[in-house]
Amino acid sequence: MILPYFENLQSGIAAKLETLGANEPRARKRFALEIARLGVRLFSPPRPGERVAWCGVLAPFDLLHAMGVTSCFAEFVGAMLASTGAVEPMLAAAEGAGYSTDCCSYHRAVTGATMQGLMPKPDFLIATSAPCTGGVAVIESLARHFERPLFVIHVPQRTDGRGVVQLADQLRRMVAFVEEQTGEPLDPARLARSMALTNQARELLVELYDLARARPGPARRRDLFNFGLVIGLLLGSEAAVEVARTYRDELNLRVERGVAGVPGERVRLLWLQNRVQFRSPLEEMLENAGAAVVVDELNSVTWEPIDADRPFEGLARRMLSIPLCGPVERRIALLQRLARDYTVDGAVNPCHWGCRQGSGARGLIERGLREVGVPVLNLEVDCVDPRSFAPGQLQTRIEAFAELLSQRGGG
Amino acid sequence: MRAVGFTCAYTPLALIHAAGLMPYRLLPTAGDHIPDQAGAILHDNLCPHVKRVLDRGLAGELPDALAGIVLMGSCDAMRRLADAWRVHRPEDPLILLDLPSTSDAADVRSLTGELDELSRTLGRWSGTPVDPGRLRESIVLYAELARLTADLARASSRGALQRWLNRTVTEPPEAVLEELRGAVLAAPGGGVPLYLFGNVLSDPAALELLEECGARIVDDDLCTGSRQLTSLEGDPGAEPLPWLSRRLLERPPCARTLEPAGPGLARRIVERARAAGARGVIAHVLKFCDPYLARLPAVRAALRGAGLPLLVLEGDCTLRSLGQQRTRIEAFVEMLS
Repeated sequence: MILPYFENLQSGIAAKLETLGANEPRARKRFALEIARLGVRLFSPPRPGERVAWCGVLAPFDLLHAMGVTSCFAEFVGAMLASTGAVEPMLAAAEGAGYSTDCCSYHRAVTGATMQGLMPKPDFLIATSAPCTGGVAVIESLARHFERPLFVIHVPQRTDGRGVVQLADQLRRMVAFVEEQTGEPLDPARLARSMALTNQARELLVELYDLARARPGPARRRDLFNFGLVIGLLLGSEAAVEVARTYRDELNLRVERGVAGVPGERVRLLWLQNRVQFRSPLEEMLENAGAAVVVDELNSVTWEPIDADRPFEGLARRMLSIPLCGPVERRIALLQRLARDYTVDGAVNPCHWGCRQGSGARGLIERGLREVGVPVLNLEVDCVDPRSFAPGQLQTRIEAFAELLSQRGGG
Repeated sequence: MRAVGFTCAYTPLALIHAAGLMPYRLLPTAGDHIPDQAGAILHDNLCPHVKRVLDRGLAGELPDALAGIVLMGSCDAMRRLADAWRVHRPEDPLILLDLPSTSDAADVRSLTGELDELSRTLGRWSGTPVDPGRLRESIVLYAELARLTADLARASSRGALQRWLNRTVTEPPEAVLEELRGAVLAAPGGGVPLYLFGNVLSDPAALELLEECGARIVDDDLCTGSRQLTSLEGDPGAEPLPWLSRRLLERPPCARTLEPAGPGLARRIVERARAAGARGVIAHVLKFCDPYLARLPAVRAALRGAGLPLLVLEGDCTLRSLGQQRTRIEAFVEMLS
């Protein structure tokens, strides 16, 4: 079921890209094509010499790429199932086996898909203790289900030098673990190449996010939807560089021409954490109210270029720089910076049901953004499970919020 | 003796004691009069243990002489508790220790570094630096406390035992130890032998309720039960901090600690339930506790394979929530009678 979906997606987008005119937007399709290619690799039957690893969100995918491992975070599957309208039977399967509906539906969906035999058996798994406890649990459960080896990266809470040393040491041990699984040592030249490509992509990401700050916001409704997290899966490859360059060029053109990504932008919004993954009228409601999401929390570069001479320390610093790690004050500081950089009028927190990491700090985040004059709309939705989605209530709240922001001077 | 508040069974109590401070567990059973405020600060959909502890703090339901708070970064909820405490009670000295996700040699080294920092912090809080000799004495004290409570657990009513367990972490341990040495607790009733696992169940009345329903808890794996006091038998040697780190990480793990090459929670529950001669298993899991909730399907399957019936009770640290499930508990016990 899943492999044909990605194969069709891949061929469909590739064909569409061939027919696009020179001035037509192509960045999102280019991005989707690379994701479809990743999906095909992940879900294809095992082939000699090819390795697949299911991982936690913060796994160093570029390092794994350098070791010839196709890797992906498990939550990707939950999002994909939701976006294709196939998630409900998976959620029901997990719940039928005793998985609580109070748990994150990204994880419930992956668990259900595993029970339905839809998840490919990986060669090994790599859990990351950040961003969330639930994510660690689901990777461990997959490892036990598939009876495959598991490596756990404990992302330290401390972000100082001691944290970097501890994490870099774990990444070296992860390499030894992967070498043991694949039987192939890490090639220093491949690692250097991968890090160079990561740094190239990083520079382009910095440029494109700078461009996205323009007024009016140049990014269209879904251009940068799920972007910051998912582009991480492509880091260390030519694909990441190409995707980031295409976005950079496209946004640059729109900024030069003063083209608004969301026509009629009156109110500029910051979106916290994840978007709603299933088809919903949410974005249309926002736009009908004159509101444009001009920045997503996860669409930011928080890390310095990776030092080619000390790649493990550089990768450790990158992981620790992600504000979903460590105390919430770091996350609030990033949100405040994004609010200022993008001159937003308000913020939307979906408060994804079951997310102790994200929603667990709801009140503290609201307070932190209020300190910089940014009101927050807490939606209280489930980003993956459409069964409890109530568009009527949301519409009223969104309209009221946009009206409030307009009266405060937005637009 | 000034108190140091803590919330997690991985907290190194002997180290706190060695600094001349009294470990004081901020149990979530302080009373129904405390208003619910934590849900608005954090989220309603978060660990009730954490929310009730935060509510205690916000209501000032804390020991009078509080030197500081030691929190373990065991899970998302505990980290959010630290975040909220810093914002809403900034006057309280607070340290959040990083707790490794696994328990290999590198993890022991990491935790030793954390304990070293804690040791220096406690020294500042108390004005008495922790020296290895004093730490060894505190380790001996807590080793005996753990041994005595474990002995009592084999032959006592769980409700009576829980009162003692709570006292070991809320009163000066020397005095509790003296009393424990001569203590004779009510013997367990003759109910159906059951194994109990989960996280926080510290209200003695909750354990008594299980017994009233005809259950006889023959062993448990609760962080306020058998896991509350880490077994500290053995010689810590000249460097007690690495030894203490190892003992903390090698203890029977909470579901948040991973065992990549170990048996895992499900198999361990089956083995311990069988070893205790249990006829069934009760899981008491707090709502929104991901580490336990995520493993329940595997636990359920493993117990089914072993022929051991399972009753899952979701709780919120109030007796009321358990009381509402009395009929289910009675039916489960009756089925096994």
